[in-house]
Amino acid sequence: MTNPADAPARSVPDAKPALAIHVRDLSLTLGSASAPVEILKGIDLDIAHGEVVALLGPSGSGKSSLMAVLSGLERASGGSLTVAGQDFARLDEDGLAAARRGRIGIVLQAFHLLPTMTAAENVATPMELAGARDASERAVAELAAVGLGHRTDHYPTQLSGGEQQRVAIARAIAPGPALIFADEPTGNLDVATGEEIVDLLFARRAETGATLLIITHDPKLAARCERVLTMADGVIVSDGSGARGVREAAE
Amino acid sequence: MIEDGARRGLGWGEAWRIARRDLNGRFKGLRLLLVCIFLGTAALAAIGTLTASIERELQSSGRVLLGGDLEVEVWQRDLSEDELDALSEYGRVSGGYRMQAMATTPDAAAPVELKAVDENWPLFGTFTLADGTAPGAPTANDAYLAQGALDRLDIQVGDEFRVGTTTLNAAGVIETEPDRLSEGFQLGPTVLVAQEVPGAAGLIQPGSLYQSKYRVAFAEDTRDPEGVEEALTEAFPTAGFDFRTRDRASPGADRFVGRMSDFLTLVGLAALVIAGIGIAGGVSSYLDQRRASIATLKVLGASSRDIVRIYALQIAAAALLGSALGLTAGVLVTPLLGAALQGLLPVESGFVIEPAPLLLAGAYGLLVAFAFAAAPLLRARAFPAMALMRSRIVPLARDRRALAATGAGLAAICALALFTTGQTLLTAGFLAGAGAALVALAGLGLALQYAARKLPRPSNPLLRSALANIHRPGAPTSALVTALGFGLAAFVLLAAVQSAIGGNIESRVPREAPDYFVIDVPPERETEFRELVTEPFPDAQINAVPTLRGAILAYGPEGDMQRVADLEEIPEGAWVLNGERGITYADAPPTGSRVVEGTWWNPLHEGEGLVSIDREFADAVGLEVGDMLTVGILGSERDVRIANLREIDWETMGFNFTLVFSRNAISDAPHKLAATIELPAAADTEARAQLLRDLVQAFPSSSVVEVGEVLVQARTLLEQVGLATLAAAAVAVLAGIAVLMGAIAAARAARTYDTVVLRVMGASRRQILGLQLAEYSLIAAALALVALALGSGLAWVIITQLFEFDWLPDWGVVLAVLGLGLATVLAFAIGGSLPLLRAKPAQALREL
Repeated sequence: MTNPADAPARSVPDAKPALAIHVRDLSLTLGSASAPVEILKGIDLDIAHGEVVALLGPSGSGKSSLMAVLSGLERASGGSLTVAGQDFARLDEDGLAAARRGRIGIVLQAFHLLPTMTAAENVATPMELAGARDASERAVAELAAVGLGHRTDHYPTQLSGGEQQRVAIARAIAPGPALIFADEPTGNLDVATGEEIVDLLFARRAETGATLLIITHDPKLAARCERVLTMADGVIVSDGSGARGVREAAE
Repeated sequence: MIEDGARRGLGWGEAWRIARRDLNGRFKGLRLLLVCIFLGTAALAAIGTLTASIERELQSSGRVLLGGDLEVEVWQRDLSEDELDALSEYGRVSGGYRMQAMATTPDAAAPVELKAVDENWPLFGTFTLADGTAPGAPTANDAYLAQGALDRLDIQVGDEFRVGTTTLNAAGVIETEPDRLSEGFQLGPTVLVAQEVPGAAGLIQPGSLYQSKYRVAFAEDTRDPEGVEEALTEAFPTAGFDFRTRDRASPGADRFVGRMSDFLTLVGLAALVIAGIGIAGGVSSYLDQRRASIATLKVLGASSRDIVRIYALQIAAAALLGSALGLTAGVLVTPLLGAALQGLLPVESGFVIEPAPLLLAGAYGLLVAFAFAAAPLLRARAFPAMALMRSRIVPLARDRRALAATGAGLAAICALALFTTGQTLLTAGFLAGAGAALVALAGLGLALQYAARKLPRPSNPLLRSALANIHRPGAPTSALVTALGFGLAAFVLLAAVQSAIGGNIESRVPREAPDYFVIDVPPERETEFRELVTEPFPDAQINAVPTLRGAILAYGPEGDMQRVADLEEIPEGAWVLNGERGITYADAPPTGSRVVEGTWWNPLHEGEGLVSIDREFADAVGLEVGDMLTVGILGSERDVRIANLREIDWETMGFNFTLVFSRNAISDAPHKLAATIELPAAADTEARAQLLRDLVQAFPSSSVVEVGEVLVQARTLLEQVGLATLAAAAVAVLAGIAVLMGAIAAARAARTYDTVVLRVMGASRRQILGLQLAEYSLIAAALALVALALGSGLAWVIITQLFEFDWLPDWGVVLAVLGLGLATVLAFAIGGSLPLLRAKPAQALREL
């Protein structure tokens, strides 16, 4: 597997390739010209390769928006942003899509599996989009790794919520991304299933060595992360490690 | 392994793999698109195949249908030796007579169409009997009869019967008469006899009404019939020849095929336009349903180009499948249409594969799919990955490239339609009309949105919501209005065309028609004739008029007359100039017509011959009172002065002559009388049959036509036209229904969200249904008038311009059918939201 960091990158002068994410003065403004809404306000952030980071904060604090910008789902309104060695600020929508392909895995709260495709097909799709020739085999292998080897030909509607989220995790991890974003991955699941899913996500991440940014409301989950960022009103208000970070966030 | 994460995007093969997987083989969501393309191509394929095969049949078997390469027809005389010699120079000639006659047995009498042929008949094709033999022309006193004649006379093959003063032997039952279609409208079953029979039976006398037909089989195949026609006209300018050539073997059928194919072309184009709107709606709603999938694919790294490829392939697959099914259905359904037109037109029975119209229909289907799918497809390209996390009702910006693609597709369709039609003007008119209607409907949609925005906000939250649904950003009002407008117009079109044809059938069957037409009554026996009828039926109405045949040879102001033979083209409306027609003389204006200019002559008028002519004809060629006509009657030319113009009520089922002369002008020419007999309604069948037998016995050389039979035939003919139009127009309605469903389905995608939220907020099912009803009622009410105007406008063109019928739609029926269309709209609108309403709010939320 090619190290995504080796992929051709259009770096900016102050980019630090050693970092998975390098953000300076990042802003995001939505709404109309007459009624702009500032969502992100001058965020500075560095995340190292292989780091596991939790992003906490109340609803509306800008967590999901920050993740959307970092994962290339949304274009920033201002500031500089280098993700996996690529200058996201210079990429258009399609450039961002290309940047995600094979390099960035995303797990969403509502799973968002393609309803018309089987579990294996769902997992194979991002690899196929990235041009992998062995997508099907790898999809089946990854499903086996998340404990769904027996459910490869099932459609999303035939799977439980936990199983769907396992497929989503397999889909995010199978292409071997350098970065994984997870937006409240346990939000739609009961506590026991949620814990299983988190264990799985952490285990699979550890095997691949990818950087993980996880948005959560759950302090227990945040405490398992190496680093905890807290957001409020569009800015990062605290940045600590592990349990200490969680305590800071609570304060 | 992922070799190149930054490559531009998917190849077609990879895109197809994902597209096929996403389609899941069931074309769920694309079924509306499939149905619309299916209907459009099926209609065009069936119409194209039918018309092409009829035209080919008419062309390829023109000489069989005509019974020769050229036919020369004259009335009330044989060809002179000179004329016959001239004709024989071109090849083998077969001559004969056609006339009305009475066939009788001691117990029965039947009006028949006597067809007398010489030994050369048929020059082309094969004449066969029911027993399978092909005996050729009848000889001596043998006669071959249509089954209908045997039935009326109640005789079998081998029995004898009489025609005029001759006894004939029923030698066989006619199975196929190769030149049947060119003989035209029949007033009785055929009796085929040898050429000498009518003369021997006393049916050919000076003044008798009969046609002589001479057909030539050219010695040289390559000879141009039109050239021969011109040469003969030049050689015999006053002969009053009526010509037919193998290219126009059956002018009636030709004209009918022409009109039918125009009509079918219009219906096909209408189906296409309606299907196109359905396709646009179908693709829009499909891509709308797929928004989450598109966004997910984008999250997974698909570029907008990948998205266009994946969904273009899906839509192309559906379009190809729909077209293929449509073409198949078109070929399969053609024999049914053919069966409906059997006897009216030369239609091959069984399946016909005509590659050209099928290719054309397929090309139309795919082009329409492309033109109407391009815009929603290109819009979907711009659909952002972030949509997964945001509201799903965000409208997408218009894409200029989409406009260009749609424009190019539409231009290609118009070009294809104009290049392939035989009716450029009609097609261009229709396309322009459809374009204008589209623009008008889109305008109406905008106006509705504007009005809904400007209306004061109702305090009732549901009404408020209904109004808001019409004008809120991204509301599909324009698309909905366009689709519903065309869909409903299809309903109106069908109802108006059908009821207008029905109206024509009714109006053309006069309420007070005479019971019999009698022709060839000797003028000197008029009193005897009247007594024969009034003796058993004292209240019978008899109207007898002299009848002759004559042709106008020249017309115009005295000293500056125009020879008809020198005309390059007969002016519009001057059909009277075409060959010979019935003429009469009278002392007073005939019933059913009114003098509108000039004065009627004194019954005792002497001196210059006078004539009264139809005002419409006078207007068509610019004739005025005081101008002159030169008329050819039985080979002699007579000059007459126009004394007055008349307006003729053609609807009356009586004698309507375009030319009525003063007695002194033509009464010296040998002629007979024609009479109408109207019996009291109470007259019983036996008494009528007895009258018929008495008439035949007393006047063996006269012929009786039963008007009832003629009316039945006319009605059957019109009903066949009605059936064919119904079958064709039904396709437009089917397309209309598909479009209604599609438009509502597309609009529903946007409504689902509101419905669920309203349910969550506590709205009852009844309230939500009320909301849907309020919204669609508002739109439908605004559209009803537009659809009425649009549908009846096209129907008017079809009825009055194409079929040249009267505009007699039954507005009650039209409005009822429009109401049915509106009810369909509301039913679909409500039916579509029922599953959501049945669900519990929490479940509905999960299904969002």
